[in-house]
Amino acid sequence: MRDAQGLPFVDDTAIRCFHVGKQFGEISALKDVSLSVNENEFMFITGPSGAGKSTLIKLFYMGELATEGAIIVDGINLSRLSRWQVPQLRRKFGVIFQDFKLIPTRTVFENVALVLEVARTRPDEIRERVYAVLERVGIAERAGEYPPVLSGGEKQRVAVARAMVGEPKFILADEPTGSLDPDSAGTILNLLEGAHKNGATIIIATHDTELIEAHSGPVVRLENGRID
Amino acid sequence: MIRFTLKRALRDIWNNFYLHIVCVITISLAVFILSAFALFYINSTELLDAWKKGARVIAYANEDLSGEDQTRIKRQIKSLDGVASVDFVPKESAFDALKADIGEQSALLDGLKQNPLPDAFEARLSESFVHLEAIGRLAASIAAIKGVDDVEYAQKWLTQFGGVYNLFKITGLVLVAMFFIAIIFIVANTIRLILYSRREEIEIMRIVGADEAFIKHPFYFEGLLLGLTGAIIGLGFLYLAYMATVPNFSPEILMSFFEIQFIPAPFLVAFVICSMLVGWAGCHFSIKRFLKI
Repeated sequence: MRDAQGLPFVDDTAIRCFHVGKQFGEISALKDVSLSVNENEFMFITGPSGAGKSTLIKLFYMGELATEGAIIVDGINLSRLSRWQVPQLRRKFGVIFQDFKLIPTRTVFENVALVLEVARTRPDEIRERVYAVLERVGIAERAGEYPPVLSGGEKQRVAVARAMVGEPKFILADEPTGSLDPDSAGTILNLLEGAHKNGATIIIATHDTELIEAHSGPVVRLENGRID
Repeated sequence: MIRFTLKRALRDIWNNFYLHIVCVITISLAVFILSAFALFYINSTELLDAWKKGARVIAYANEDLSGEDQTRIKRQIKSLDGVASVDFVPKESAFDALKADIGEQSALLDGLKQNPLPDAFEARLSESFVHLEAIGRLAASIAAIKGVDDVEYAQKWLTQFGGVYNLFKITGLVLVAMFFIAIIFIVANTIRLILYSRREEIEIMRIVGADEAFIKHPFYFEGLLLGLTGAIIGLGFLYLAYMATVPNFSPEILMSFFEIQFIPAPFLVAFVICSMLVGWAGCHFSIKRFLKI
């Protein structure tokens, strides 16, 4: 059985991990991690630095490959994906990073438009959707500027816009407020809540306890690569 | 898709302008040198063919040849393999021709008490008789005929030119291979530097779901464009050099039956296509090593 994009379909849970492990040479980043994420859930993954939060997030969008166990994303067993199917899987995700990962030589508009360009969206539709999402995150007036002239909060709003513009099923955020002041952090969280209301499944990796306490939702705690 | 590819490739070229300029200059230099060799090779082949088609061997006779001897020698030369026709040139005709050739200075010849030129036989060779060694053997056979004093043909010049020509044929092939490898290496390094400077951007593209074609195609297009631009500039400079030097040659230097020509259009197209393919190949090797999705 295959899903709408032709990827092999095996399960109807949003994300499910079975005894997942990840080794980097001799170092074991994740050990025997099993968890389930339901559709339209707003989940936090927390734990101290080096606990394996970022690695787990990367495993979901195949930024890294699990060395043990199995991960099912949107019914697709990731271990069965061929190389050419990986980009299609990644288009199901919007990813937000602590260091924003914006392309400095491209304008705000172009950074956000990239998601739609890779999906071969028509130019007129790209324009419409990018401006709509930039309006939504409150940064449309800076569409023609380059990332280096933006503040940290503005950069992260661009990153959130980029994560949302493709209307992905999942939004993964790795320490999204880690380098922001409390006001900007609040804005980012509100934007993610908005995406959640629109139907996206949100997974946030953070060690910011205030952020977790300010929001109700399941929390997975990692300690030394294991679920605590 | 094509629009994005072109846009990104052109943006890349603009962002790494000096790197691309250096690469284009190097490719155009290589193309210039290779096409100069091709120009020499094509014209040398034409020149040799043209000479061979009109090749003649002159046999000078001993003094006081009888009419019987003339007929015998003419018959003997005619019977040799490779000889198309033989004409007897009496020394009087030769003397008149010499006078006509030197024009105003012919008065100098008036002081001569007797004609110093010998009778001669002019043997025209058949068009299929083109090997230099065979022409040399034929000349030796004519020289051995009784009543023939000396034989003349453009042996020395032809042998030397043929030697240079053969050397160019061999070294030309080696040079072509070397230059093509050099162009591949240069383009590969240029693209590698660009890939390295854009590694973060490429990583972001992958995260947002870009497939291999989306990432690679602009680089291939850049490789093709580098090859195309380099070829056009290199061939353009060769044409300028050709226009600047060839009109200064007097036709007599290269024989009246031959004219130096620029590289024919099909060869020019082949040069451009090869240069583009080499640009593409350089890009391919670089991408293959650098981009592993």
